[in-house]
Amino acid sequence: MSELSTENALLSVNNLEVQFALRQGAVTALRNINFTLRRGERLGVVGESGAGKSVLGFSIINLISKPGLITNGEVVYEGQNLAVMNNRQLRSIRGNRISMIFQDPMMTLNPVLTIGDQMVECLHAHRKMSKAEARAIALDKLKQVQIPSPDTRLDQYPHELSGGMRQRIVIAISLLLDPDLIIADEPTTALDVTIQAEIMDLILTLCKEHNVALILITHDLGVVAEVTQTTMVMYAGRIIEQGPTQDIIHKPSHPYTQGLINALPQMTTPGQRLNQIPGSMPSLQSIPDGCTFRPRCEKEIKTCETIVPNLQANDTVEVACHLYTPDDNKKGELANG
Amino acid sequence: MDKRAETNDAVAAKQRPIDQITQPLLEIKNLHKRFSISGDLLDQLSFEGGRLSRKQEFVHAINGVTLDVKRGEALCIVGESGCGKSTVARNVMGLLKPTQGEIHYRGERIDQLSPKALLPYRKQMQMIFQNPYASLNPRMTINKTLREPIRFHNPRWSEGEVKDKVVEVMQSVGIDPGWGVRYSHEFSGGQRQRISIARALAVDPEFIMADEPISALDVSIQAQVLNLLMEAQEERNLTYMFITHDLSVVEHFGTRVAVMYLGTVCEVATTEDLFATPRHPYTQALLSAIPRLDNKKRDHIKLSGEVPTPVNLPSGCVFHGRCPRVNQRCREEIPIIGQFDGSSVACHAVEEGRI
Repeated sequence: MSELSTENALLSVNNLEVQFALRQGAVTALRNINFTLRRGERLGVVGESGAGKSVLGFSIINLISKPGLITNGEVVYEGQNLAVMNNRQLRSIRGNRISMIFQDPMMTLNPVLTIGDQMVECLHAHRKMSKAEARAIALDKLKQVQIPSPDTRLDQYPHELSGGMRQRIVIAISLLLDPDLIIADEPTTALDVTIQAEIMDLILTLCKEHNVALILITHDLGVVAEVTQTTMVMYAGRIIEQGPTQDIIHKPSHPYTQGLINALPQMTTPGQRLNQIPGSMPSLQSIPDGCTFRPRCEKEIKTCETIVPNLQANDTVEVACHLYTPDDNKKGELANG
Repeated sequence: MDKRAETNDAVAAKQRPIDQITQPLLEIKNLHKRFSISGDLLDQLSFEGGRLSRKQEFVHAINGVTLDVKRGEALCIVGESGCGKSTVARNVMGLLKPTQGEIHYRGERIDQLSPKALLPYRKQMQMIFQNPYASLNPRMTINKTLREPIRFHNPRWSEGEVKDKVVEVMQSVGIDPGWGVRYSHEFSGGQRQRISIARALAVDPEFIMADEPISALDVSIQAQVLNLLMEAQEERNLTYMFITHDLSVVEHFGTRVAVMYLGTVCEVATTEDLFATPRHPYTQALLSAIPRLDNKKRDHIKLSGEVPTPVNLPSGCVFHGRCPRVNQRCREEIPIIGQFDGSSVACHAVEEGRI
């Protein structure tokens, strides 16, 4: 943790709740989300599809659109609550102080504008400057993301570039206004393994160099282990464990985190049966009573059926599991698990 | 091969009928496949210098792939998108006709057979696709989906026998037979992939081509499906050809691995050997790119440039533009697969001992 500066929190999310109004009734996609992010901190958000990772990323910059709504809580960025801002106020933050990288670069880039036009447009939206100045900044950022022959790229269209190159452009755009925070939602999922490694290395170096905080949303625990300092594990719309990445990966506390890590092929001797978690994540419309993970959990105890566990400090991490509630004498048993 | 392995093989050979040792189950010989991207005849014609000329362009998807699959093994094919791994699969399964080359199954050439003559092979060779959302017919109940191949390949079976078989395969993949009346949209991704595995197992095949069967699934579900595939292999003595881009899955699942790059095979080795001593520079880069959980800081080998287009293949070795060990010979001469301590590698640098 020594890499982190001791400054105040850059972003703090308090009691965040997001609901989607569907025909069948309201569905709660995020419940009781609490965390803080310091300047320059790299946070990994992991979980299976449907766990609410992407909704969390979107709701931080209040980009949840109908039928979704932030129904409770606040997202405080440098003293301002983004959850109650109107679109005009938000525009000064989005893309400027907090920028976002999405999974599919072809969806993010405008196919009918050249790379240069898109970058200049973004700069003009936030700063007053001449076109030449804007192009100079754009060129500089393209160099930072190590794109070969950056000046010719400025006049090319997205379809002329490969997937890895496009994602580099998206990263360059996200860096244009020197943001404090980048939210990267599965930035390498659409890319090949070797390109993924290059892009993650690039994101890591740039974040370190410019002291930019990063929220990395991914399902790949290996990527999280290599890039982030802290990790948050989500399950069915809740945070079930958060803390320093190394502690979460090497001594996971929550039975779900343990299951997730043990299920990886690299955790088993080749050819042996993998340690699978039985069942699958419940749909948000049919969340079980008590702990949401209970139906798949092998360590279920009586309390799990009725009471929803809250995040509680346990050693270096926070975990939402009844096995760790102080009045339960289960601690020793779990350390072995 | 060392002596002990040799004697082991000899012991194993005694327990099998003769034809099974001498012959691999599936042989792919010098397979080529190209796709025209020039449209129809009229699109290809153009006036140049007062003359009518015809120009055709091709995507060279596979350029001379030779592989064999031994009975009972799981041969994994890895490579990045566009390297031709799925095209190999489709050629083997008879979904595409090879431009050049041969495919042999149990010693019989099958790539030129008529659809009718191919029928008995289709029963022996089944395929599992990547996306269980697209590979199951949304208008069929699960019972109907599973009944169809059984009925088709066993026309003499009674209705009762077919029903029993459906129940048996559903149980063997862990789907409650009572759910057979439901439609595929009522199932989760993992369950759907179980159903498509059940469909493949329904006709008791001996060979299964699995094209990225777990890539569309979540981590915790991937483990379930991989376990299921391994159980099925044990119980039914299946042979797999397993196509994937996920190397950690290969390490766990594969008996042997073939690494592909731009339509050619760069390296074939047993899984153990490949992960212990990758020889081809591309294999080395690929392995170094796997994100790992342990604390050890590993440097990813950075490859310069991008995968070239398969329309205009590079001269010489297809990998030479990105290879850190390139020399003049690599730019001119196409490397041929050679044997190096049990691994087959197509690389001049390995052959010359530069690596």
